Amino acid sequence: MEPAPAGPVGEPGRRLHPLTPVALGGRVLGILVVFIAFSGLDSSTGSSSGTSGGGVLPYVIFAAIFAMLIMARGFVAWLTTEYWVESGELRVDSGLLQRRSKRVRLDRLQSVDVLKPLSARVFGLAELRVTTAGTEKASVRLRFVNLGVAQGLRAELLGRSAGLGSGVAEAPEHPLVVVPHGTLIGSVLLQILSWRLVMIVGGSVLLIVESSAGTGRHQAAAGAAVAVLFSVLLILGHTIWRRVSTLWNFTVAESPDGLRIRHGLLSTSHQTVPAGRVQAIRIHQPALWRPFGWAAVEINVAGYAGNRESQNTMLLPVAPRSFAEWLVSRLLGTVVGSVPVMKPPTRARLRAPVWWRYESAGSDGRVFLTSHGVLSRTVEAVPHERTQSVRLTAGPWQRGLGLATVHLDSTRGPVKIRARFRDATEARAILDAQAERSRHARRHSAAPLAAPTPANATTANTGNPLGNGSGPVMPPPIGSLPSRFGPDSVGP
Amino acid sequence: MVLPPGRFRTVEGPFAPPIDHQWVPVSRRLAHMRRTVLLTLVVPVVGVVAGLLFTLGWLPGATALAVAVLAVGWGWGVIGRNWRSWGYTERADDLLVVHGAMFKKLVVVPYGRMQLVDVEAGPIERLFGLVTVKLHTAAATTDARICGLAPDEAKVLRDRLTALGEAHAAGL
Repeated sequence: MEPAPAGPVGEPGRRLHPLTPVALGGRVLGILVVFIAFSGLDSSTGSSSGTSGGGVLPYVIFAAIFAMLIMARGFVAWLTTEYWVESGELRVDSGLLQRRSKRVRLDRLQSVDVLKPLSARVFGLAELRVTTAGTEKASVRLRFVNLGVAQGLRAELLGRSAGLGSGVAEAPEHPLVVVPHGTLIGSVLLQILSWRLVMIVGGSVLLIVESSAGTGRHQAAAGAAVAVLFSVLLILGHTIWRRVSTLWNFTVAESPDGLRIRHGLLSTSHQTVPAGRVQAIRIHQPALWRPFGWAAVEINVAGYAGNRESQNTMLLPVAPRSFAEWLVSRLLGTVVGSVPVMKPPTRARLRAPVWWRYESAGSDGRVFLTSHGVLSRTVEAVPHERTQSVRLTAGPWQRGLGLATVHLDSTRGPVKIRARFRDATEARAILDAQAERSRHARRHSAAPLAAPTPANATTANTGNPLGNGSGPVMPPPIGSLPSRFGPDSVGP
Repeated sequence: MVLPPGRFRTVEGPFAPPIDHQWVPVSRRLAHMRRTVLLTLVVPVVGVVAGLLFTLGWLPGATALAVAVLAVGWGWGVIGRNWRSWGYTERADDLLVVHGAMFKKLVVVPYGRMQLVDVEAGPIERLFGLVTVKLHTAAATTDARICGLAPDEAKVLRDRLTALGEAHAAGL
């Protein structure tokens, strides 16, 4: 790689925060402290059997060396990394021996996140992550900068990306929803509860109760059951904790530069997804949520799924279904319930005995929408101008019945759109129509999806829609959204 | 495009080519290549197994041989049908690729959505003078590839697709 060219004349690059190495090392130290604590416990309980103490020291030395290495790397990163925000791009130069210069075109950026891992949060630092379409390599992480700097940069990048020029203050935001803690914990617990879990836990409890009375082999079985139960509960507890702490205080707000999503208990994350970067969206209701009328909203954002934090495809972890539909309707610019959908033909029951009744698909002027699921229900939608490619598939079974499935490909993410078990001729008609619709929509949508402006959101300003429990149905401000289509496309 | 008469079944039903278009077939060498691979993989195994079984008696050996011959015959037919099922066609705004004999697939890739065009040829493919053209969009599930193209055809196709992609380029 050739050496990176120098920055713009007379303008030195901005630097990372000097505490970067400490914050980076802190994370590793934290993990290692926990590890040592555990191994310390281990050796203290095991010391009775002869192999006494001193077992911890090598770990400590190892930990110290490891942390030093991480900190050295952080120091080098701090020393060598510089960044500039120029007219149309963010440029980051880094590397000691192998210099690299990354440039992110601001009109291509998909989202800007401010992440605060616990180790950085302690020092008032934050990571700025700028995601573009494409692989993870195409995204830029500034680890770490001052929190204020990160927030300022985010505002600047989003402002420039929207063509507002530099020096803009962060756009005002307008909160839509804060997920109450009780609802979040309840929803996580109900989502984790599954048949498999009940079987494993129930089975081992039964085994313990049954065999604890006996002796010998029975007791061995009971011991194994206790071990299984313990490890399952441990994993369960960890999973619950991770989900709850990640999604804690989940706040969705809207602002002219996009949707703002904030969440996290110890490590917090603040994402901004510009309006129109939502590639596809789904409303998901696990079976056990349905008695409570809860639903989650997840989105596909280009460039997101490669990252480790799987939670950042979450737009709303739990809310009354009516609110979820309202939010989705608002993002899509069309009322979810009003899209005309059709079921597969009756003969599809030979391919999909019960669940064929719960499959449906249809489209209107803006989106293609499918829904499926007998116990857990999922509604998925993709705007026509976001469709990547369209596929028609049919295996031998489906072809024998004259059926076929239409897939609408979206970027990587939780949303996968399929109209399954359609009549074969109809499926081909859907395929051709979708190809035509998305071609038309692409051509007529130079502008991204309409940003919901705060002026439209006055109805939502009555407070937390979850708080009053009833989940008010607020009509999406379709009329006030600027039209992205030609005059020939009709709304619902 | 005029096809050699009788070389291709007319595809009807949901996987028919669009109106005023026909599926452009892929090279017959695709079937040759796959059949060669099938034989080179299967024949030695069958030989060894049948030889071992013949030591037990003629009945097990002959049965194994018959099963192997039937299986190879079936594979031979499947390869032929699969080869015949491949086709692509270029429309004004998108490329259509169809393939699959048992599990049929038809994919429509708009030129404006193409992120990159890949031209690949593995060692065996090169031996038979074949290349594979892959189209990538921002969606990982697109799965648009055309197997068994002659290198010249692939080159022309690649250049044309790249040019069309630039002309139609749309943001995400």
